[in-house]
Amino acid sequence: MTRLVSVLRAAVFILIALVLCGIIFEFAGYSAPSMFQSIAEGAFLRPGALLQSLRWALPLFITAVGVAVSFRCGYFNIGAQGQFYVGAISATFVATWLNGAPAIILVPLSFLAGIAGGALWALWPGLLRLRSGTDEVITTLMGNFIAGLLLVYVTTGPLKDPSGSGQQSSSRPLAAGYRISDSLGISPVIIGIALVVGVGMWLLVNRTAFGVLASLAGRNPTMVRWQGAKVWQLGLSSFLISGGLAGLSGVIEVFGPNGRLVGGFLPTHGFTAILIALVANLSVVGIGIVSLFFGGLASAALFLPIMAGLPAAAIDIVNAAIALFITAKSGFVDRLLRFGTRPS
Amino acid sequence: MNDFIIAILRSGTPLIYVTMAGMIAQRAGVWHLGLEGIMIIGACATILGIATTGSFPLAMLIACIACLIASALLWFVIEELKANPIIAGLGLTGLGIGGTALAVQSIFGTQAAVTAPFGVPRLGPAFGPYGILSIFVLAMPFVVVGLWVLLCRTRFGLRLSASGEHPFAARSVGVSPKRMRLVALLAGGILCAVGGAELAAGSLQIFAQNMTAGRGFMAFAAVVFGGGHPIGSALAALFFSIIGALGIRAQLVFGDAVPHDLLLALPYLATVFGVWLSGRLRGGAKTANGFAELRDY
Repeated sequence: MTRLVSVLRAAVFILIALVLCGIIFEFAGYSAPSMFQSIAEGAFLRPGALLQSLRWALPLFITAVGVAVSFRCGYFNIGAQGQFYVGAISATFVATWLNGAPAIILVPLSFLAGIAGGALWALWPGLLRLRSGTDEVITTLMGNFIAGLLLVYVTTGPLKDPSGSGQQSSSRPLAAGYRISDSLGISPVIIGIALVVGVGMWLLVNRTAFGVLASLAGRNPTMVRWQGAKVWQLGLSSFLISGGLAGLSGVIEVFGPNGRLVGGFLPTHGFTAILIALVANLSVVGIGIVSLFFGGLASAALFLPIMAGLPAAAIDIVNAAIALFITAKSGFVDRLLRFGTRPS
Repeated sequence: MNDFIIAILRSGTPLIYVTMAGMIAQRAGVWHLGLEGIMIIGACATILGIATTGSFPLAMLIACIACLIASALLWFVIEELKANPIIAGLGLTGLGIGGTALAVQSIFGTQAAVTAPFGVPRLGPAFGPYGILSIFVLAMPFVVVGLWVLLCRTRFGLRLSASGEHPFAARSVGVSPKRMRLVALLAGGILCAVGGAELAAGSLQIFAQNMTAGRGFMAFAAVVFGGGHPIGSALAALFFSIIGALGIRAQLVFGDAVPHDLLLALPYLATVFGVWLSGRLRGGAKTANGFAELRDY
C-alpha cells in the first residue's frame, strides 16, 4: 500500500510540474496544449518513436541505476555527468591507442577503461568525502564542469579528428568493426549490457549483504558501525559503482550510436539520470520503467525542432520542473492520496 | 595592472553579488543551489527589459520581479512542500536556463545572442581608467559591508542566523524560521538580479544561452569556502575571480603552450580545494546534510 501511495505521490507532483511547464510555455508565447501534444507525439505516438525512446532509455537506465546505488548509501553523488564524460574519454583514448587491433581485444579493453575512468572520476570525491568530510555535492558538481572542459580539450586537442569540419569538434570515427550498434543505437549488445546491469544491480541491492548494509548506512550509519561493517568501505564502493556505471554509459554512446567522441555530447545526461533515480524512488525495477518515460522525452527533444518547429529547450524545462517537485512530500497531497486509496 | 584589476572587478562583481545571495540563504538554513537559475533569469530579464522598454531602471525592476518570483517558488517548494533543497535548487537552475533560452527564442526567433543598445550606467570619466566599470561595481563593497553589519551586528541578523543554526531556539523567542528563510531567499533574489544584470549588461550588453556557465555554483562554493560569513564569502568569490583572471592572463602570455580549456577549469579546481580546506579547518567529517531523509519521502 505504501508503495502505491509513493507511486501516486510521484504522479501527482509530476502533474503539478507539467502544469508549471504549461504556464511557462504560455508565458514564453507558445501554446501549451500543442506543445504537450508535440512532445507526446515525439516521445511515443509517432511511428518508430518507441524504438527511439528505447535508444535513449538504455544509457539513462544504466547511469540512473548507478546514481541510485550511491543515493541509497546516503551519498549525494550528483557527478554522473562528469563520470559519464570521463568514461567516454578514457575509452576513446584506449581505442585510439589500440587502433588496428582485433575487435575482440580492443572493444573489451576500451569498455574496461571507460568503466575505470568513470569510477576514477567518482573516486576522488568519494575519498575527499570519506577521509576529510568534504561535501560531495560540491566536489562532484565541480567535477562535472572540469570533465566538460576536459572533453572540449581532448576533442580539440589530443584526440581531434583533423579531417573533421570546424563546426563540431570530435575524435576520429571508430572503424565499423568496433562499433556495437549502428547510429540508431539499438542492438542486441546494448540491450544485453543493460539487462546484465539491471539484473546484477537488482541482485546486489536486494539480495546481498553489501546492498542491505549500504542502504542501511544511508539511513543510520551508527547502526551499521555497530553491526561491524565499515561505513567507509560501503561508501567508497557505492561511489565507485555509480561512477563506473556512468562511465559505462559513456562508452556505450561512443561505441554505439555516436561511433566517435563528440565535444559536449548529451550535456544533460547526468541530470536526467539523477531525476530518473529519484522519480523511481531509487528502486532498480522502477528505474527501468521511469527511464522509458525520460528516454521518450529525450527523443522528443530531437523531434521538436525538426518536425514541429518548436525549441528543444522545452524538454529541459519539463525535466527541470519535475526535478523541482519530485522530492516534495506535502502533507496535503498525502492526506489527499490516503483519502483516495484508503477510505475510512 | 589597471587592465588586470578591471578584469577582476568585471568578473568578480557579479559573482560576489550572487555569493551574497547564497550566503544569506545559507545563514537562514537553505542550501541555495538555485542561484545559477535565478542569476540567469536576472541577466535575461535585464537585457530583454532594456531592449523592449529602453529604460534601465524599468529593466532592473522587471529583473527584480522575475527573480523574486523564482525565489518565492523555490521557498514554497523547499519549505511548504518539504522538497530536498539540493534537487529543488538544481531543478530551478534547469528551469532558469531552459526558460530563458525558450523566451529568447520565442521573442527573437533565434538561438543566437541578444544584444541591448545600452547597459548598466557607467561610473564615467571622473574615475579615470575605471570609468568604464558599472555603478554596481562601486556599490559592491558597500553592499558587502552593509550585509555584514546587518547580519552580524543587528538583532534581525542574529535571528536570521539562528533560523539556520538552531531553528528550535529561534522559534522559542517567537521567530518563525520559515518566514526568515522567505525573507532570506527574497533578498537573495534581488541580489541575484543585480548580479545577473551586472554579468549581462555591466560590460557587453549581451545575453547568450547558458551565459552564467556555472557562476551560480561557484558562488555557492564561495559561500561554503567563506564559512557563510559575509566578508569571508566575498573574499572567497574574489579569490575565484582572481584565479580565473590569472588563467586568462597566462593564456595571453604563454599562448597555445598552455591549453585554454584546462585553464578555464582552474576556478573549479580552486573551488574543490577551497571546500576541502574549509572542511579540514573546521574539523572534518561531520557535515550532516540529512540526505537519508530522501529515502523516506
